[in-house]
Amino acid sequence: MPDTAFWAVCLVVVPLFFALICFVRSDQAAVLGLLAAGLNALAALAMTVFFVRSGPLRYAIGGWQAPLGINFSIDGLSVLLVAMTAVTGLSVSMYARGYFSLRIGSAGEINRHGHQRAFFWPVWLLLWGALNGLFLSADLFNVYVTLEIIGLSAVVLTALSGKPAARLAAMRYLLVSLLGSCSYLFGVALLYRSYGILDMAALARLISPAPLMWASLALLTTGLLLKTALFPLHFWLPPAHANALAPVSAILSGLVVKASFYLMLRLWGDIFAQVLPFAAYVLLGVLGCGAVLWGAVQALLQKRLKMLIAYSTVAQLGYLFIALPLIRLDPGSSAWEAVILLIMSHACAKSAMFMAAGSIFLKAGHDRIDDLAGIKEVLPISSFAFVLAGVSLMGFPPSGGFVGKWLLLGVSLAGGEWWWGVMLVIGSLLAAGYVYRVASRLLVFKVTFFSRRQSIPPVMEWSAVLLALLALLLGLLAGYPLGLLEAGSPFPLHACREVMP
Amino acid sequence: MMDVMGFFDIVLALALPWLGWRLLASSDLFRAVVLFISLGLLMSLTWVRLQAPDVALAEAAIGAGLTGALFLSALRRLERLSESERRLEHAGKREEDETIPPEKRRRAKPVAYVLSLFLLVVFVLLLGWSLGQTPGAKGGLGPAVAGQMGQSGVQSQVTAVLLNFRGYDTLLEMMVLFLAALGVWSLTRVRQTQQGEVPGPVLATLVRLLVPLMIIVAGYLVWIGSSRAGGAFQGGAVLAAAGVLLLLANVTVVRQVPAGLLRWALVLGPLLFLLTAVACMGGGGNLLEYPGQSAGVWILFIESATAVSIGVTLAALYAGGRPPAPSAPEKDNEEGPGSGVDKGGKA
Repeated sequence: MPDTAFWAVCLVVVPLFFALICFVRSDQAAVLGLLAAGLNALAALAMTVFFVRSGPLRYAIGGWQAPLGINFSIDGLSVLLVAMTAVTGLSVSMYARGYFSLRIGSAGEINRHGHQRAFFWPVWLLLWGALNGLFLSADLFNVYVTLEIIGLSAVVLTALSGKPAARLAAMRYLLVSLLGSCSYLFGVALLYRSYGILDMAALARLISPAPLMWASLALLTTGLLLKTALFPLHFWLPPAHANALAPVSAILSGLVVKASFYLMLRLWGDIFAQVLPFAAYVLLGVLGCGAVLWGAVQALLQKRLKMLIAYSTVAQLGYLFIALPLIRLDPGSSAWEAVILLIMSHACAKSAMFMAAGSIFLKAGHDRIDDLAGIKEVLPISSFAFVLAGVSLMGFPPSGGFVGKWLLLGVSLAGGEWWWGVMLVIGSLLAAGYVYRVASRLLVFKVTFFSRRQSIPPVMEWSAVLLALLALLLGLLAGYPLGLLEAGSPFPLHACREVMP
Repeated sequence: MMDVMGFFDIVLALALPWLGWRLLASSDLFRAVVLFISLGLLMSLTWVRLQAPDVALAEAAIGAGLTGALFLSALRRLERLSESERRLEHAGKREEDETIPPEKRRRAKPVAYVLSLFLLVVFVLLLGWSLGQTPGAKGGLGPAVAGQMGQSGVQSQVTAVLLNFRGYDTLLEMMVLFLAALGVWSLTRVRQTQQGEVPGPVLATLVRLLVPLMIIVAGYLVWIGSSRAGGAFQGGAVLAAAGVLLLLANVTVVRQVPAGLLRWALVLGPLLFLLTAVACMGGGGNLLEYPGQSAGVWILFIESATAVSIGVTLAALYAGGRPPAPSAPEKDNEEGPGSGVDKGGKA
């Protein structure tokens, strides 16, 4: 009888299986990949439905219970992030299908683009399986293995474009990612030495302040911050995200950086929350403020559209870190809900934005912002998708970004730490600046736009616009996902309340 | 006896950082690779001294042997980069930072060296201090593992952890290895070698003698893995070494393996592992929960399949690219620097 756990297993097994098959039958890669994406979305939906009934649960892989074996821990946070990955992943997959067939069809270079398609699908499916595995896993070392798959496949995908700039960015990404993994692994090893277990929930009960615990926390955090590209460790992100192929950029910005931030949430919001002083959260929050300012200013200065979007990711990741001290400050759970809403709406909006930018790039043959005036005449839907996604990034109502920021603002005012709220507002204004900068070019009236003759497949335009619409509506529909969070609260809420300063 | 071993340990402990330093400081890449291989061998000895023979075997075979071979083959590619390809690479770099000439970019300033050395020393001291301050958990999960050995289906604790208690980790690790091969294949293509490269008589004889022996050793390592040091990774590494030897000797058979078969060989291990894991759910068990008393048989099955795939994957990494297209010449526009190299041989 299929139950929540069965669908959770499917979410890991199905993408991995199809990744292997896609590699062997590389002539059918696109069909198999789309099939896998569909099955994945179904499994995510089924798991969510069953989860509402069953509530949070643990699943012992191999039948071995926690300290000895590896367990899945399925709670509200995992379910929401898996669902986010499924929705974003499905639309990126549909976009990618159109993207590669357009390039293969138009470029006439079957070798070059054919091999990109043949390798995109298996690597993307491996990445997808590992993301699901990461969100579901309850074991710190198992998480390391999934992080390894995520990092490596992200690098392979970045290099897939073949441009020298992309290869260089991929190399830098690889080195940073490996350094982050090493640091994380070192931290896990030290934790294992201190406590002799790797299960997150069990560790959370055992954690007590000791020099070695601080050392391992520092190592874990450094590794994850490198991978999440928190300012000032963001240097690798813009070139990698901007030079990759369009569907790859959408995956990297929308999903991959969220994986390591999810772990930060687990570590700082739950496992170590009992022992960490508030000042440590403030430090991360301050770095988040730096990211919001630096990322937004850099985005304003960029000449290329994809670089602008990539720097916007740096800025948006900053909000997530500003939320960390607020989670600690918050007696209720609205900061938790806010951060999850921000993660989800950024995943949808940023992926949609990169997808729209990819269509614009293909149509115009370039992505110089100043020369894009009037492209809405030839690409109305993609331009609309870009603006829609921009609205969510700026945090206009009714977008998910708005509700998330509004909740955070409330927490910061209620907690008496109003300066976080000020940063949120400044960040939104700057975001409005760089979105308007692009939108004013895109939406200009009556300019004849000379484009390449290739026509963008409708699936590419519509998948972007639907995803952007979802990001916008997330604010209206926020009640449902956040209710899920209440049903299976990620184990921490109460723990945080006890240690409130 | 204790004194001799103690002295040996001290020499090891001093030699490891010294070798590491020499490696990092070496400006000659070839020298650095040789130092890296020696470092791997010393690390392997260290694992033996730490009573971790499984890790020692893997470190010697993969860390020192195959990684060294990979480095050497990469080095040869670097040397063969034609001038035009180099210019291409620099053109890519120039987008990043225009002002610094390429020859200066490599050398960091002495201040940066001193600062990073200082930070490293502080970090190591702090870490050492905190290690001294905090007592470790006694035995970790060791007692739990020992307690469940009866149900694990094997006698070796390492194999029990790798393929039963934490088999899911190993399954994902197989995916990492597969991904590594995918990554290399996505980057470049092995070019057809010129015909008529006949290996010298010594190499030919060596291959004829060694390769069958290595295959037997690999099989033995997989088999013995259930009770002693050994297992799929060690066996696979030996298989890979045999593959590298065949590539070096430029044996025609290796180059004529059809690409489809090669692809199947790469996915064989991960695919069968995954299917076994799912099949375990058929009887109402959990993922990877071997039914009843059959764990030993399933583990041997998985290990044999994964050993083959590990061997093929590592050898494919050494070959350094996806197989050449059946019809010989084609426009390889995506081939960046480093692609113009023969498969394996002709060192």
